[in-house]
Amino acid sequence: MARHKKTQGDRIAEVLTRRQRIELEACARCGECQVWCPVYAQDKRECVTARGKLASLRGILSGPPLQAEEQKELLEGLYECSCCGQCHVVCPVRINTPELWEQARLSLSMAGIPQPESQIKQLSTIKDFNNCYGKPQQERGLWAQRAWEAGFLKAPLPLWKEHRTPVLYFAGCAASFDPDMQSVAVQSARLMQEAGVEFSILGNDEPCCISKLRRMGDADFTREAQKRIDMFNEQEITTIVVSCAGCYKGFHSDYGRLWPGAKRVLHLTEFLDQLITEGRLRPEREVPLTVTYHDPCHLGRHSGIYGPPRRILKAVPGLTLAEMPRHGAFSACCGMGGGLKTVNPEIQHKMGASRISEAESTGAQAIVTPCQTCCLGLLHGLEKGASAMKVCHLNEILIRSVCPEVSAAAIKAAFERFQMT
Amino acid sequence: MGDIHIGLTGYPKPWLLFWIAAIIAIGYMVMTFYRKWQSWSQSAPEMPAARNGNLHTVKIWFAEVICQRQLFGLSPFRWFVHALIFWGFTGLLFLSFVAVILKPLKYLGIDGGWASFFFFGNGHAVIKIWGDSFGLALLLGLLAAALRRLLIRPAQLVNNQIDIILVVFLLWLTISGFSLEGLHLALAPPALVRYSFVGRLFVPPGTFTKAQLQPWLTAMWTLHALSGVSLMAYLPHSKLMHSLLAPLVIAMNAEEEQDRKDIYWPDIKKHRATGSPRS
Repeated sequence: MARHKKTQGDRIAEVLTRRQRIELEACARCGECQVWCPVYAQDKRECVTARGKLASLRGILSGPPLQAEEQKELLEGLYECSCCGQCHVVCPVRINTPELWEQARLSLSMAGIPQPESQIKQLSTIKDFNNCYGKPQQERGLWAQRAWEAGFLKAPLPLWKEHRTPVLYFAGCAASFDPDMQSVAVQSARLMQEAGVEFSILGNDEPCCISKLRRMGDADFTREAQKRIDMFNEQEITTIVVSCAGCYKGFHSDYGRLWPGAKRVLHLTEFLDQLITEGRLRPEREVPLTVTYHDPCHLGRHSGIYGPPRRILKAVPGLTLAEMPRHGAFSACCGMGGGLKTVNPEIQHKMGASRISEAESTGAQAIVTPCQTCCLGLLHGLEKGASAMKVCHLNEILIRSVCPEVSAAAIKAAFERFQMT
Repeated sequence: MGDIHIGLTGYPKPWLLFWIAAIIAIGYMVMTFYRKWQSWSQSAPEMPAARNGNLHTVKIWFAEVICQRQLFGLSPFRWFVHALIFWGFTGLLFLSFVAVILKPLKYLGIDGGWASFFFFGNGHAVIKIWGDSFGLALLLGLLAAALRRLLIRPAQLVNNQIDIILVVFLLWLTISGFSLEGLHLALAPPALVRYSFVGRLFVPPGTFTKAQLQPWLTAMWTLHALSGVSLMAYLPHSKLMHSLLAPLVIAMNAEEEQDRKDIYWPDIKKHRATGSPRS
């Protein structure tokens, strides 16, 4: 008997899970995903909605190889998506869309359908440099050294390999390398010092969490994740505090199935909330501001963390929190996730601007978020919408109440001086 | 109420044609599902996910599938329309199933008296009242869905073939069912007509003899029965697939995400306060 020759659809189907195959056909086509989709809201393309993507995927799995135009639509829909998970929350059928899009991206690339060029470049950079900025690994721990030298820290930060502590602070790529976000790492460290937490960092040994590989459907994710898990296990790291929502989602969910120890991962907001509740961290100075809070998708919808950051803000004297119409599980994405920014920066800028305009409608003076990536996305939105609103990391608000001298502006200015010398 | 002999069993029904069509349609449906299952089996088994208590999963499943709580949170109107269609269709399917099963059992003499009870005895009123109630729910639900789809036209709805065909198909099934009942009632005694509170609206005006209506009864029965059978063959290709698969997907999600109160037990008031971006 002639052996059945595998089609493109067969190769894609093999990588999807059985549950995902069922999910493809369970769609009720009600269009609720379209109503809430923050990408669709920008330019009304059906192909980016969950319903559109499910239809395209059903087409490629069941039919003959797609025509060029159909394939273009499938790739456009699948990759111009921030995987924010809003469609999962509002879907009456509960299709687990973010997981499905990521697995579909992986299955397409394994079936030989090329990813967008810009994502391939980004993935190569992450794999070659161990960060998405293309910076040398020796510069990863510089922030800690400079922060100590500039007087932002109460004591130099010990390296894990030299001094094992109950807690490891994991800064992540943005806070380690991005000049606009290095203040997040410094402030996180200072806040923990203020609370008397015994912690250390990995410094130049800190790896990229590589969750972006999973987001963009790279086949090397599992192998690379396993390397990092082995490293954490070998070094007997017990509790990791991460300040990046993307790293948190990576360690907590993406590594989850490979690493039972992922339970020991805390997001900085959970940790700080705990420290405030225990009375170890005391925000005492008044911060007379009205702010609105932006839930990062990776922290909120993907990980269910909504309360801790809000409790931190409410603990700051003088601060008023005004919620946006879309908040919590319905928070509108800023467009920085899922590799969307890499593929279509213009859409991300529009999404950021939409979010800023929603924030402005609350009358708040600043939009606060505990995610470096969201901060960057909202800053793009600020430029696009020419808004006067301030975008702050949550650390910046808390630090003003605890030790205002460690402000983001002061840190940036000091670090720029280091750069010049 | 004593036994009522409705005197209608005499009109010719092409049972042989029905059973041949039913066997072909069911065979095709089963084969299509089998092929789908085979195709799904090519895919990777689900990676083990967090498993939690079964009781909580059942509670979530009940809220999400039986009560359709999520849809209620999104729009009470849509929930109401969907509930009319869902419960109307499910109820009629159940009654049709009972009728189709009891007939051959009675023929074989192993129905335990249930066929006589439901077709000619006191049970007939129960069947009529429930049948008309489910039929009315389905009819109203479908009309509201058609109205929403074709006149209100919310921006998120797309009216592709697959969406329209199903609504038209189900509408045809419901109306042909009531028309058949109307023809039955044209010959039935008043004591029986009162239980068919919707069907009697479909009684053709005028007085007819059994001989006059027989060809119409046979034709309408055949059309209605074959349409029902065709729906089974069409089911695996239709939007109705969601009615089979959605409860399965919800169950799988419920087991994994039951701790996610934001997803599974959303505060409906908060949900409404958040509002749809288009409201």
